[in-house]
Amino acid sequence: MNAITSAVWSRRPQTSVRIVDAHAHAGPYSLFFIPEASPDAMVRVMDRCGVAHAVISSHLAIQLDAAAGNAATAEAVGRAPDRFTGYLTVNPWQDPDGELARWGDDPRFGGIKLHPDLHDYPLTGRRYAGVWEFARRTGCPVLTHTYDGSPYNDLDEVDAVAAEHPDVVIIAGHAGATPLGFDRAVEVAQRRPGVILEVCGSFNTGPDIARMVRELGPDRVVYGSDFPFIDLRISLGRVIFSGLAETDQAAVLGATMTRLLQWRSGQG
Amino acid sequence: MLIDADAMLGRHPRRDTGTGSITEALDRMDRFGIAEAVVSHTLSWLHDPATGNRELLDLVAGRPRLRPCWVMLPDTCGETGTPAEFVAAALAGGVCAVRAYPADHGYDLAGGDCASMLAALADAGLPLLVDAAQAGWPTVESVAAAHPGLRVVVGGIGYRQLRQAAGVLSRTGNVHLGLANLSSHCGLEWLVDRYGAGRIVFGTGAPLRDPAEAVTRLLWAELDDADVAAIGSGTLLGLLPVGAV
Repeated sequence: MNAITSAVWSRRPQTSVRIVDAHAHAGPYSLFFIPEASPDAMVRVMDRCGVAHAVISSHLAIQLDAAAGNAATAEAVGRAPDRFTGYLTVNPWQDPDGELARWGDDPRFGGIKLHPDLHDYPLTGRRYAGVWEFARRTGCPVLTHTYDGSPYNDLDEVDAVAAEHPDVVIIAGHAGATPLGFDRAVEVAQRRPGVILEVCGSFNTGPDIARMVRELGPDRVVYGSDFPFIDLRISLGRVIFSGLAETDQAAVLGATMTRLLQWRSGQG
Repeated sequence: MLIDADAMLGRHPRRDTGTGSITEALDRMDRFGIAEAVVSHTLSWLHDPATGNRELLDLVAGRPRLRPCWVMLPDTCGETGTPAEFVAAALAGGVCAVRAYPADHGYDLAGGDCASMLAALADAGLPLLVDAAQAGWPTVESVAAAHPGLRVVVGGIGYRQLRQAAGVLSRTGNVHLGLANLSSHCGLEWLVDRYGAGRIVFGTGAPLRDPAEAVTRLLWAELDDADVAAIGSGTLLGLLPVGAV
């Protein structure tokens, strides 16, 4: 039993590792009821478990309105900058270059979020050209939704954009999302050094996460929860009980993502 | 104490979940501090309920930490005997719950085909376990209303079904929710606040699901220790047939 599992069993927040949630949202979502979707409630849950920081894109931004939603993300980060960093959501149908220009230099944002499935637009599409150019120029990581078999963000699309943009850090959200998707995500990440696997979703397990780390290394796998879309504790528990060595676990839980968020400090 | 009301033995054809052996199940329970588990067998789910039910009893014989859970069918084709025969054999074998797969096994749980079997389960005090994807909420509500003495535990809620689950919980007193993949953000606390810990049953969904999910969700819940204890084992123990506790 390590310090984190001991904290779980004793029902107290963990304090031994800096945990950074690499895949989070905020706010309500029309498809289903979320009891407490506000950023304030999210911070309360983070405190309950000992999660230091979360990288968020508002549900408004990914679901309906990138401009209004990015403003909501910025506001949430501005109210709790020590707890949140923003993902700038780029919707290919809603002035993608304008959103990049509007928020690209804003330090409240530390990454770009793409959700091809929600926007019915392929990850390889030309409307995302500005995203890849911005990410290549700045080092800003790009989190994309992935789902095995999707017409828009299957692992083949991740492979294609990673091949075309080898200098860009691409975080594959959900790591393919299904057992077959996990296998294919590992294969893509082995071919493309810029690809990082993020592990939230409904079907991942601790053994699958441990295998990703064995195959790729702890600097290529990051913890995310998708909260408040999904409860934060579901994915967090998988990583905590995955059996990873403590240094590897610390990397997956937060150290690797912390490093990926440092890109602005390298800019003149 | 944790009692897992949603566990499975046996292999799975579409996922690497190990061999599904007793040894693996007990090792997993030890790793997650789970004292006992209510177990079904994939042979009953994914091949032949009658054979799987019989073999499950042989497998768990002499294993007091594993409580057998049979899989039911409608008695229309006589595959598992009459409802009276099925229930009598279940109780004689120490079966403590019965699981249904109406979607996978091709029948209507709420229709006339299952009415006599469900009535027999209710009379015997055997709870019915069914995943949300197998039945759907209108079916769950119909079954609960038609058989008010039947305790129903709906598992595999996921994070998209609180609107439907809440309606059924509000209109019934004999429907409970399993914790396996009950993954709405803050949903557990919301449900306990509205309906009480007595409507929630700990379960992991292992080995298809990682027990780490349910264990972490429960222990790090924003609930007091009494509610956690109730969900961990108390609620389930209150649902089991007399003599099984």
